[in-house]
Amino acid sequence: MIARAPFLRVAVPLAVGVGVLIAWEGLVRFYQVPAFLLPAPTAIWQAFAANADNLMVSLWVTLKVTLAAFALAVVGGVGLAVLFSQNRLIEMALFPYAVVLQVTPVVAIAPLILIWVGLDHAERALLILAWIVAFFPMLSNTTLGLRSADHNLRDLYKLYGASRWQTLTELQLPSALPYILAGMKISGGLALIGAVVAEFVAGSGTSTGLAWRIIESANRLQIAKMFAALFLLSGLGIAIFFALTLLEHLTLRHWHESAVKREN
Amino acid sequence: MNAPPSIPSWSQPPGIRIENLTLRFGDETVFENLSFEIEGGSFVALLGPSGIGKTSLLKTIAGLTPPVAGCISASDGAPLAHRIAYMGQQDLLFPWLSVLNNVMLGSRLRGEKPDRARARALLAEVGLAERADALPATLSGGMRQRAALARTLYEHRPVLLLDEPFSALDAITRARLQERAAELLRNHTVLLITHDPMEACRLSHQLRVMTGYPATLGEPIEVPGATPRAPDDPALLNLQAELLKRLLAGSET
Repeated sequence: MIARAPFLRVAVPLAVGVGVLIAWEGLVRFYQVPAFLLPAPTAIWQAFAANADNLMVSLWVTLKVTLAAFALAVVGGVGLAVLFSQNRLIEMALFPYAVVLQVTPVVAIAPLILIWVGLDHAERALLILAWIVAFFPMLSNTTLGLRSADHNLRDLYKLYGASRWQTLTELQLPSALPYILAGMKISGGLALIGAVVAEFVAGSGTSTGLAWRIIESANRLQIAKMFAALFLLSGLGIAIFFALTLLEHLTLRHWHESAVKREN
Repeated sequence: MNAPPSIPSWSQPPGIRIENLTLRFGDETVFENLSFEIEGGSFVALLGPSGIGKTSLLKTIAGLTPPVAGCISASDGAPLAHRIAYMGQQDLLFPWLSVLNNVMLGSRLRGEKPDRARARALLAEVGLAERADALPATLSGGMRQRAALARTLYEHRPVLLLDEPFSALDAITRARLQERAAELLRNHTVLLITHDPMEACRLSHQLRVMTGYPATLGEPIEVPGATPRAPDDPALLNLQAELLKRLLAGSET
């Protein structure tokens, strides 16, 4: 029963967070930990307030890359999976290369991509690298989802004279929706990771994302600012996760097993 | 059935002729050279142990599973395709469509104008008038099964293949629905799979028992009298005992 109370679901983790922050602050002050090792939460807050302008600009840069990569991953992943579902030959031909793209560490491809797009267009390299990381979960989840439509339902569609297009749009895609949404949750987080890792490796040219702020702060031993950037990144990741969870809930709540409240 | 004039009705539903039908899944032969005939307008119940191939036979007749060899035809010579409605073991309702839209699914897929009035009338026939706009997930198993029956009837096909349509229902609902079905399915050619000897005896004109590996069909058992038969009819009880005996004998081999 405890786990179901909506108030407690928010209050309990929040209390843990506040407790950790207080303990952190207390321990840092008590043991007088040097700020370049572990700054106190209040120092991090002050560093954030002092650098709010450039941190928020960086947040926006990272957010843009993340969202663009994520959107392309969703469109590309679902699109290619649909193509796979329509033609086994295309799937046989291309799927291994999608796997190659997935298993090759993105850090290793980064320099190559950067050379290809040109050092003047580092933001394009970031977009491509983040997309590579975010793409595969969309592809594999959607492919699985499109295949998982109940065979008996497919038989029914066949019997009722449904066209291939109807079978795809009215049976396979809705059946795949829970898989697509689960893929989006993974892919959304990976797009952010991809954007950050790519920026670490490739730099970001003229516009500076949060990853570059972290490198910069580390080089200058501005550890409090580094923490502030880190918290912003976590916050961004959490926001993406919650937005996608909300989308999942809104889309599936009416009919899917995972979301429907039982009457009996 | 009071079909509106837009739907062509049939004067005599066609019979089904099965000749030398062979079905294999990999190395496993489900049945071989199976031949039998279902008379037009008759209600035939198919019984037999689980896993013997009854559902496979039904799917083959429906054109969903291609046979290795053999021929399935209609007794009137016209093609069987588009004259068959099939109702599977599971209700197969689409979770994202309301009960009403599930019933009208076939006409929507074929690009016809959905006949709401008839769909609602059929839902009323199976006792679901109140739940027409509900989503399947909010219905009980029995209600879902009834919605599936309404959808099968909405298809308005002269040949009906029913795979244990009433198995998920409680005894009372089942008895009621059997009576409704007997009325609604008149002037159809029906092949019904059931595990319930009582159901078979109440509803059908002829019983067929499927046994053995690969499966064969026993001699047809004719059931005299009008359907649905009263559950306490002594002749029916005798027949039911006879049928059980055959089924038990068949499952020992």
